[in-house]
Amino acid sequence: MIHLENITKIYPNGTEALKNISLDIKQGEFVFIVGPSGAGKSTFLKLLIREETANFGKITVNGYDLMKIKRQKIPYLRRTMGIVFQDFRLIDKMNVYDNIAFAMRAIGAHERDIKKRVRFVIDMVGLNGKEKCRPNELSGGEQQRVSLARALVNNPEMLIADEPTGNIDPKMSFDIMKKLVEINNRGTTIIVVTHEHELVKKFGGRVIIIKNGEIEVDQQLPTKYHPLKEIDNIDDNSEEAEQ
Amino acid sequence: MKFTSSRYLVKEGLKNIWNNRMMSLASIVVLVSCLIITGAAILLSANVNSLISTIGDDNQINIYLDYKMSDIDAIKLGPEIKKISNVDQCEFYSKDEGIKEFKDKIGNDIYQSMQGDDNPLGHVYKVRLKDLSEYESTINEIKKIDGVVSVSDRAAVARTLTKLNYFVTIAGFWLVLILGVVTLFIISNTIKMTMYSRRFEISIMKSVGATNTFVRIPFIIEAMSIGLIAGLFSSVVLICLYEPIRESAGSMLSMIASSTIPLGDIWLRVLLGFSGAGILIGALGGVISITKYLRREGGEILGW
Repeated sequence: MIHLENITKIYPNGTEALKNISLDIKQGEFVFIVGPSGAGKSTFLKLLIREETANFGKITVNGYDLMKIKRQKIPYLRRTMGIVFQDFRLIDKMNVYDNIAFAMRAIGAHERDIKKRVRFVIDMVGLNGKEKCRPNELSGGEQQRVSLARALVNNPEMLIADEPTGNIDPKMSFDIMKKLVEINNRGTTIIVVTHEHELVKKFGGRVIIIKNGEIEVDQQLPTKYHPLKEIDNIDDNSEEAEQ
Repeated sequence: MKFTSSRYLVKEGLKNIWNNRMMSLASIVVLVSCLIITGAAILLSANVNSLISTIGDDNQINIYLDYKMSDIDAIKLGPEIKKISNVDQCEFYSKDEGIKEFKDKIGNDIYQSMQGDDNPLGHVYKVRLKDLSEYESTINEIKKIDGVVSVSDRAAVARTLTKLNYFVTIAGFWLVLILGVVTLFIISNTIKMTMYSRRFEISIMKSVGATNTFVRIPFIIEAMSIGLIAGLFSSVVLICLYEPIRESAGSMLSMIASSTIPLGDIWLRVLLGFSGAGILIGALGGVISITKYLRREGGEILGW
């Protein structure tokens, strides 16, 4: 699914954002990318969606060799992934339905398919009844769920969430993370970039810590949440684990 | 591209015009001015050409004789004129016939007072030439004959019109060039403004995998629609103004009325040509600005 081999990224101003990084992420994995600001997390994501190109190394994402990919093929690479942004990036003048449908319209989907699929993802993220609402009529958590629905609507193989809980309160954060786990259990690979260590501790899974452009830790923590378990149990479990 | 996508893209393009109505209006006004000036220059040039060719085709010249010359002397000049090798036909046109033509204009009383020796007109020979390329030398030969006062030299008119046509063509070319560049600039700016106001949407479209073509089409449709509206409007203006101008010019000189191009022959060409030109300029302006934008920054996902 994702294969990075000795990847180095140096920006034109001389900043070495990633230094000789190698890693593999398999289909269906749930991965946290953790690290302080300026560690190289954003560069890592930019490389995955081919907004930036590595200077050295080899990088393959969803079957595309990103060192050799042609410019006109990049949109097709991006169709294999969904992106959830920290600041939601919803279009104010569009309602929930249109914000989600926009992602399908942008790739030329048929209106009939759009209707079906949008209804499905709205249901999946629990936004039934909010279809006609504008983003400014929704809470932060709801807006993030719209953003999540938009990322999922094209049925991507992989979901990249960049600080998905950065702009919402802890309860809502938990809610969003629960949704991500549920989606992961349906087979979608999830990559969550965060600096919230608490969230990582609570949910577990594979954790990659990037510091100064290098992978400091790549560890599999026990998974503490399953969609069938109650959320309160996680809090209890994590507290026990900490003790 | 699928039909539903096309419908969506066209709708988006037309929506953009309304969303940026002030800039769209400015573009349409500039483009209309440009097209009207260009069209006027083209129509003037076409009519001058038509006039020149009418004059060129008309190989008849009038030889005006001294008004004091008697009828017999005037008739005697006929064979002398016919002797000139380039003269094909030579027809005598007496001064009595000449004054008769003015009867209506001058009134019967004056007409009656201008009979016989009181006729101020001279006799005229209407001559047809065999070869127009020898026009100048034939005229000079005719002028040498005693009693010939003047010869209607239409070549001079043709020369003046040719000069005018040359001027119109050159001025028209520069006008088209300058106004074309201005129009392209204005249309590109309108599209740039639209793109700037929609950069966030473009960014989202790019993040979900929209191709550059898909992103580009609504903007190009917007620019082409602006061009089409301007083309239709300017052609309607020109079509409405053409006949009144032609008629008033024709009332000043009868030759203009008969030699210029009637509206019926050109209105469709004007309409189609202008609409086509508007669409083309619009498409060009749109393509230039959107391509530049997508190459520079449109591929990036904003704020990442």
